[in-house]
Amino acid sequence: MPGMGTQLGTGNAVLIAAFRDALLHQGFLIVLVFAVLGFLLVSIREIRRPLPPRVTASTGTASTGTASPRPAAAAAPPLPRAGLGLRLRIAARRLSGGAPGEPEPRWRTVLRIGFGLLWVIDGLLQAQPAMVGLATQVIKPESAESPAWVRSIVDWGAASWTFHPVQAAAAAVWIQLGIGVWMLAVRRGRWSQAAGLAGVAWGLVVWVFGEAFGNVFAPGLSFLTGAPGAALLYVVAGALIALPARAWASARLGRWLLAGSGLFLIGMAVLQAWPGRGFWSGGSPLAGMAGEMSGTSQPRALASLEGSFGRIVAAHGFAVNLVAVIVLAAAGLGLLSARPRLVRAALLATVALCAVDWVLVQDTGVFGGLGTDPNSMIPVALLIIAACLAWTANCAAPVPAGTPAPTSTASPVYGSPAGAAVAGETAGGGEPARPRRRTWRQRLARALLTVDGRSLAAAGALGITLLGVFPLAAAATDRSADPLIALALNGPVTPENFPAKPFELTTADGRTVSLASLRGKTVLLTFLDPVCTSDCPLIAQQFRAANGLLGARSKHVELVAIAANPAYYSAAALRAFDRQEGMDQVPNWTFLTGSLPQLRKAWHDYFFSATLVPAGGMVLHSDVAYVIDRRGQVRYELNLNPGPASSATQASFASELAAAAEAAMKS
Amino acid sequence: MTRPQPGRHDHGGFPGLEHRKSAVIMGGAGLAVLALLTAACGGNGAGPARAVAPPPAARPSMLTSLSAGHGAAWAVLEVGGSRAAHNNFWQLLVRPAAGRAWRLATPPGVADNGGLVATSPGSPGSAGPASTAPGLVAGFVPSQDLTFSPLATSKDGGRHWAPGLLPSGLAAAASALAAGPDGRLIALTRTGVQLSGPGGTSWKALVSVRTLAASPAGRSCGLTGLTAVAFGSAGAPLLAGACSQPGVTGIFAGSGGQWRLAGPKPPAAFAGRPVTVVQLTATAPGKLTALLAGGAQDLAAAWLGDGQPWTTSALLPLGGRKLVSTAAGAGGTAGVIMTGGRAAVIRPASGSAAAAAWTALPALPAAAADLVLGPGRQVSVLAAGRTTVTTWQLSTAGTRWSPGQKLTIPVPFGSSG
Repeated sequence: MPGMGTQLGTGNAVLIAAFRDALLHQGFLIVLVFAVLGFLLVSIREIRRPLPPRVTASTGTASTGTASPRPAAAAAPPLPRAGLGLRLRIAARRLSGGAPGEPEPRWRTVLRIGFGLLWVIDGLLQAQPAMVGLATQVIKPESAESPAWVRSIVDWGAASWTFHPVQAAAAAVWIQLGIGVWMLAVRRGRWSQAAGLAGVAWGLVVWVFGEAFGNVFAPGLSFLTGAPGAALLYVVAGALIALPARAWASARLGRWLLAGSGLFLIGMAVLQAWPGRGFWSGGSPLAGMAGEMSGTSQPRALASLEGSFGRIVAAHGFAVNLVAVIVLAAAGLGLLSARPRLVRAALLATVALCAVDWVLVQDTGVFGGLGTDPNSMIPVALLIIAACLAWTANCAAPVPAGTPAPTSTASPVYGSPAGAAVAGETAGGGEPARPRRRTWRQRLARALLTVDGRSLAAAGALGITLLGVFPLAAAATDRSADPLIALALNGPVTPENFPAKPFELTTADGRTVSLASLRGKTVLLTFLDPVCTSDCPLIAQQFRAANGLLGARSKHVELVAIAANPAYYSAAALRAFDRQEGMDQVPNWTFLTGSLPQLRKAWHDYFFSATLVPAGGMVLHSDVAYVIDRRGQVRYELNLNPGPASSATQASFASELAAAAEAAMKS
Repeated sequence: MTRPQPGRHDHGGFPGLEHRKSAVIMGGAGLAVLALLTAACGGNGAGPARAVAPPPAARPSMLTSLSAGHGAAWAVLEVGGSRAAHNNFWQLLVRPAAGRAWRLATPPGVADNGGLVATSPGSPGSAGPASTAPGLVAGFVPSQDLTFSPLATSKDGGRHWAPGLLPSGLAAAASALAAGPDGRLIALTRTGVQLSGPGGTSWKALVSVRTLAASPAGRSCGLTGLTAVAFGSAGAPLLAGACSQPGVTGIFAGSGGQWRLAGPKPPAAFAGRPVTVVQLTATAPGKLTALLAGGAQDLAAAWLGDGQPWTTSALLPLGGRKLVSTAAGAGGTAGVIMTGGRAAVIRPASGSAAAAAWTALPALPAAAADLVLGPGRQVSVLAAGRTTVTTWQLSTAGTRWSPGQKLTIPVPFGSSG
């Protein structure tokens, strides 16, 4: 069949070009917005910047050039020489007047920066050209071995991607980049918690729809191959980052994290050791995964390493699995023991196992053009390191009474006596300033004054994230597919302008229909083989769907098909086809036939051919449709080869047909 | 990593165990891990060993051949050999008479990668002019998005075809279509049986599988499905199927909407085993040949004709093999090909002779698909390759096969799906 075999794969040039354009345009928009915001804020800061005090040599006191009647200012220590940023932060502290914030604990820093970087990497990976085909090439095949209910959920989510591949792929880039920058930019406070929550939300979306619940319901589940799904680990990290500051110092947090990590590793060890799952034999899924990964496009050395490891597993599957089980179990028990030496050893063992598995089994997860993330080992390692750090912080020596609070690694402004003095807290007898009611202008001014690079980055990151969220949400609710898919498969709709050739044929119930009798209506004309097994039923459904999209305007449209089989064109065959496709329920559908000479003439007039194929082949014919306006002029020609015949491609063709009909109605 | 201070943390091992809440939480975590393991292990396909289920009865195949008088014959077989099912195409080969060449006669116009069923109207077993090409009716088993079955009728051995239509989908069985001498057709569909008027038009539902199974005859058989249709004497429809009740052969004759069991008593050796009618062929008006499978262990032939009751043959042990194809010849001759390159033929016993016995054939050539039973004791085999069909003739002594004709089939790979 001409045109059959056209695929909408990851290499479709039209889709890739559209994806690149979308990323470029949106990226330019982001840069522009950042630039404008940055310019505005710098300008406002410059306008509002207080004049620096002049220090005279005789008095050693600051003076603005006139005698100051205020003894309080003279009593305050002089401001240290500081840049604009520091002075603004000082001003912010004066305005806020609150207690110093909790310093960010190391475990949270590890998680925030580690997962922030991972989100950024994931966002950059998502920008690979092949990602427009992610739903059909990766997401749906990934869920193939999961139960039917999981597949239906994945299919529902993947529909958004397949219906709007460019929009969805671009959205995923910005959402992930945005979350990553957000986490990296903001260290504490509600903004930082919000970044964690954003990570939870998007991680859950990816875990459910992109990873089919981490494939936990499919056979062959193993920690070594990615269980319970990398995205779920991002969710856990996000939830920990979203914890309020008062939870950071909780004594139980570290214990729970350590115990949870230990239980997780023990559970994975039990899973790995479970008999009858194939991991104890040479043909284990590990060998299969390593072999499959070695065939991915990647540096030759890495491919060779993967291949060698696959052979080792194939030959010594029992030993390899035994090592994995022992390491996982021992590490889990070590973490559960809560003894420092054992915890340290367990941490080292886990990190080593993660590193080895990341390279040899998971093949780093980034190669092949369709790698969406570095897989699960790095997130696991980060979480366990964070758990150990949290436990360590919990086990730190108690602080004797009266000792000043320890300084943090954060800004010297916070939590230090010098900083407090700089902030003016010890000025005037040391009473902290009480917050007072401010007008909206003062609040706005305060907000503008306190914005620094980090705040700008956080706001920008939120903007980047929203740049992805809104279009993705729109794509999820819009069930009419992007006509770009049809364009990518079959090229653009061809505008025409010639008089439609007349025909006079009969319907299945013997009624004569001519083109002239359809004058005054827009005609969508095609040629269908009533005993076709593939394309023609799909084209009929495209017509039906287009009719639905036209809505009330469909009463001005006639859907006409002419029989396209030199052997099977009887009225019975047409009726059987109409019943099969439900077209007998479409009021403006007409399937026409006639004598073979009449049909051949109609085919010839519309540049259509239908050829019998020997030895059991379907009739060879093209998949074409014409749009004829109400004056009988052919306005458009469309190639309707259904391609992969997914619901997305079908919906896209229907959109294309409906759009062409509407354009013809307006002409 | 700092050392915990004594007295501040008194874990003694498992952190937080002294606190009930922590114990509850860790217990919950343990349950969650267990649930995870259960879900994972539940999906690994490695369940406990189950009792071995009894093997299913032998199933009918679409691979078949029919030989008429004077060696005219047709055969249905599958070529392509592609793993993708829609790239295997079924072919109809016709030999106008013994000694003549086989030729490709597949009806055009429909993709037949779902299957092809053929039947000969009239009396394939009756004597006639040597050059008479067999009349044929072919039906396409629907595939992919097609749900009904186009038909094709030829009066000149497949040189020219006239289209027809069955509004439902034909079942994929060699005996799913039968033509009566009066031009009516009977078709076994996926849900029941349809009967046409003369010329294969005006199809009407005759009976559904469910209705037949619920009838008294169906219940006494324990009917589980239909496998074959034919016209009996006086053009009455005959239906055949698989019985779950041992000791009953599921052949039904209908009249006035009522159905009665009309099959032979199964051979004694079938005792305790369900019987499936694998093929039912009318070799002449009122003459029927049936192949019966007792479980999956044995096969037997049965004949009905000339007002005589059914007679059955000796058993052919299948020995764990599966049926590949069946064949029917003039005079009630029947043959089967089994997996492992084995084949056997049988001729009805004459007079008061003991039950007819099967004759094993020499090991078949590779890829043997159809057995063709010619006049006399001529036996040939059609072997199907990816794009070729090779004929092999059994020597007169019946000891070896000799290659004959080789046909190249223009398989339309990739033309559908």
